[in-house]
Amino acid sequence: MSNSAMLLAQAGAEVAKVSTGEAISFWILAPLALGGALGMIFARNAVHSAMFLVLTMLSLGVMYMVQQAPFLGFVQIIVYTGAIMMLFLFVLMLVGRDSSDSVVEVLRGQRVWAAILGIGLAGLLVTGVAEALTSVRPVGLAEQNAGGANVANIGRSVFTDYLFPFELTSALLITAALGAMVLGYTDKSKRRTQRETADARFRGEHDRPSPLPGPGVYATANSVAVPALLPDGSIAPESVSAIIEATASRELATDIETVAGAIPGPDAHALKPAAAKEGDK
Amino acid sequence: MSRAELLADDPIWLILLKVLCIFLFALLTAMITVWAERRLIGRMQNRPGPNRVGPFGLLQPIADAIKMPFKEEIVPRTADKVTYRLAPVLALSPTMIGLAVMPFGPEVSIFGERTVLQLVDLPVGVLVVLAAASIGVYGVVLAGWSSGTPYPLLGGLRSAAQVISYEIAMGLAIVAVILQTHSLSLGDIVDSQQGLWFGIALFPAFFIYLVAMVGETNRAPFDLPEAESELVAGFHTEYSSMKFVIFYIAEYINMIVVSAMGTTLFLGGYMAPWPISLIGDNYFNSGWWPMLWFIGKIGLALFFFIWLRGTLPRYRYDQFMKLGWKFLVPISLVFIVALTVINVFDQLSTTGILISAGFFILLLIALVMMIPDRREPRAGRVPLSGGGYPVPPIDLQIPSKPRRTKQARSRAGRRQTVAAGAKEGDDGVS
Amino acid sequence: MHGYFGAYGLVALLLVVGAVFVTVALTANRLLRPARPTPQKLLTYECGVDPVGGGWAQSYVRYYVFTFLYVVFAVDAVFLFPWATVFAAPGFGVATLVEMFVFLGFLAVGILYAWRKGVLSWA
Repeated sequence: MSNSAMLLAQAGAEVAKVSTGEAISFWILAPLALGGALGMIFARNAVHSAMFLVLTMLSLGVMYMVQQAPFLGFVQIIVYTGAIMMLFLFVLMLVGRDSSDSVVEVLRGQRVWAAILGIGLAGLLVTGVAEALTSVRPVGLAEQNAGGANVANIGRSVFTDYLFPFELTSALLITAALGAMVLGYTDKSKRRTQRETADARFRGEHDRPSPLPGPGVYATANSVAVPALLPDGSIAPESVSAIIEATASRELATDIETVAGAIPGPDAHALKPAAAKEGDK
Repeated sequence: MSRAELLADDPIWLILLKVLCIFLFALLTAMITVWAERRLIGRMQNRPGPNRVGPFGLLQPIADAIKMPFKEEIVPRTADKVTYRLAPVLALSPTMIGLAVMPFGPEVSIFGERTVLQLVDLPVGVLVVLAAASIGVYGVVLAGWSSGTPYPLLGGLRSAAQVISYEIAMGLAIVAVILQTHSLSLGDIVDSQQGLWFGIALFPAFFIYLVAMVGETNRAPFDLPEAESELVAGFHTEYSSMKFVIFYIAEYINMIVVSAMGTTLFLGGYMAPWPISLIGDNYFNSGWWPMLWFIGKIGLALFFFIWLRGTLPRYRYDQFMKLGWKFLVPISLVFIVALTVINVFDQLSTTGILISAGFFILLLIALVMMIPDRREPRAGRVPLSGGGYPVPPIDLQIPSKPRRTKQARSRAGRRQTVAAGAKEGDDGVS
Repeated sequence: MHGYFGAYGLVALLLVVGAVFVTVALTANRLLRPARPTPQKLLTYECGVDPVGGGWAQSYVRYYVFTFLYVVFAVDAVFLFPWATVFAAPGFGVATLVEMFVFLGFLAVGILYAWRKGVLSWA
């Protein structure tokens, strides 16, 4: 923006000069926004990625405020942080906590295509920005902020000059959002009642009429990963949840050993840490 | 001079003084509220509440504030460390922004400098408060997620969905106020309540705001993100020591901010309440008096929070979302439409009236459509007839109770006295 | 501290004050608190059951639906704010009213559709 501002300042006398405050805030905000954007791309964890995006959006919001568009700035913060919250929930919903990016490429030649399209997009952006920097002159800022009534003047513009785009956008937005909502919704009305399920169980439509046995509860371990024992002392495999069995065993192995007491840990009732206790003795 | 001009003239020392005052006001009020809440809830539940430290337990919050930093902090092994540390910062830092735009009082003189009891009066003041709230949610959500365990995660999710749902209702209630003031600046909003407070003039909006502010701050009966009967302590289950305190303070400062906002929007801000405002040619609306009214009204709103907590049981999550989206939001939309029509009614031509009448009819049709069309008969309901079960007739006459004789009554009384043992049971044998 | 920058700078100043307070509090806490971790202490709390793995919970799709609704309505409310400030200005009355009603009409139709589809019921 600093560059563009300089160019603009050269472009015409009617353009306001960049004040010191604006320059300082730009040099604080721009690295933040850029860092957030890069962090979003390179973060391994999807939630961290979303958080970096929040940083970028907030910096952009503050930048709007710096450029005398306070309404736009706060709207950016309110709407976009809300929208990222949605993204955030979406991530949690889809991947759970422990999943990081998979590095396996499933599409053939995706790198080539990504490179071509990326370069294309970059070219588009660069020409657009260059055009904006050289030949587009900002006008109308003074009118929009006349009398310190930024919000009212935006209202005036929206409901006179830009009425049709406004209505069209609202229709588009609601259609898109509804589509997504209806897709994300699963109809639960056809779900069986408890009675019907119970009947079905005893008719043999399920594997067993009774619920699955719970996991084992022992003096050394009280974990869902430890199977229960049958009366003859053998292990009841169905007492361990399918989710745990599906989890990669290397992730669980240490947990199971820890809670089963295979790894010697300090006494649960010890008041001092293990190292200190050894030192005492 | 206008409000903005007075504020623009503030010298640096005055601004720093105001910032310090706002900061101390937020922290001290939060501490007092913690104490008052424990005492009041104690009283409502027939127990003393804190009464050990200082008179009436007044020093209890200070004792807690000294104790908590010395407690060991336990960061769970599964936690995402960076986010875990970031969450309390995000929860508390933005809370005080709301108080920056809040008008605490009219023009006064501080050390000979004319100014207004407000840090800054922005033309988008209302949005500042909303924006601060929407950043604050991240603290809660991230705290829930970063702990790496299901209860906090569920608490964080609930909080996110809850705060954003009720922020809509709150925003729409605020729009109703903006329709009357035509300005988003909180100073202007107070000024335009010289006559009638919006709490009375726009009662539906006020009611919606009251409900939404409780939902927005995660307080009982909407304290689902930290419902101890379901989620242990919700999003801050895994937080201890100072980080827990920070979440605690953040919750209370949030309460103060929404209370101050509600006061400013609906209860006339710093204006003196009605009978007092008549005394002595508006004497109580000048000088430093209004600050007293403002803080008093905030106190009243905080008492309302505590009273709710002592009175109402917790909502179920589905009931809570239903209340938000199927009651508060439609009602506030309809209210806004009605309000605009009332506002411009004298400007309307015949066509205008026809158009708005047509819209109203459409709206009514829409509302009628919203009524669920079929309600399946509940399986558990007792059938009125048939079904093979013995069902008492609808016109069943319950035989009247036989009057007990005096003798029987005294016998019963004596039995009661015996059963009560050492308890004084003299009322039985009167 | 005058003019446009000063006013918004003050809001930022209060944000900084809040952040500094948190930082000071946490730093003091770091210096004051004891640290004696044991493996048992570092386990997450799951009501007495030993936890297994990380927080492996995937959450429900229904939260997502409501956040989507939020985005729609947030945009709606954002347009309502400037409208509310100008609609009573001379020359804006009826026309602006009708325009906003069209906008609200779009919204109402959308919400009604979702409602009838049962999306809004928390099941």
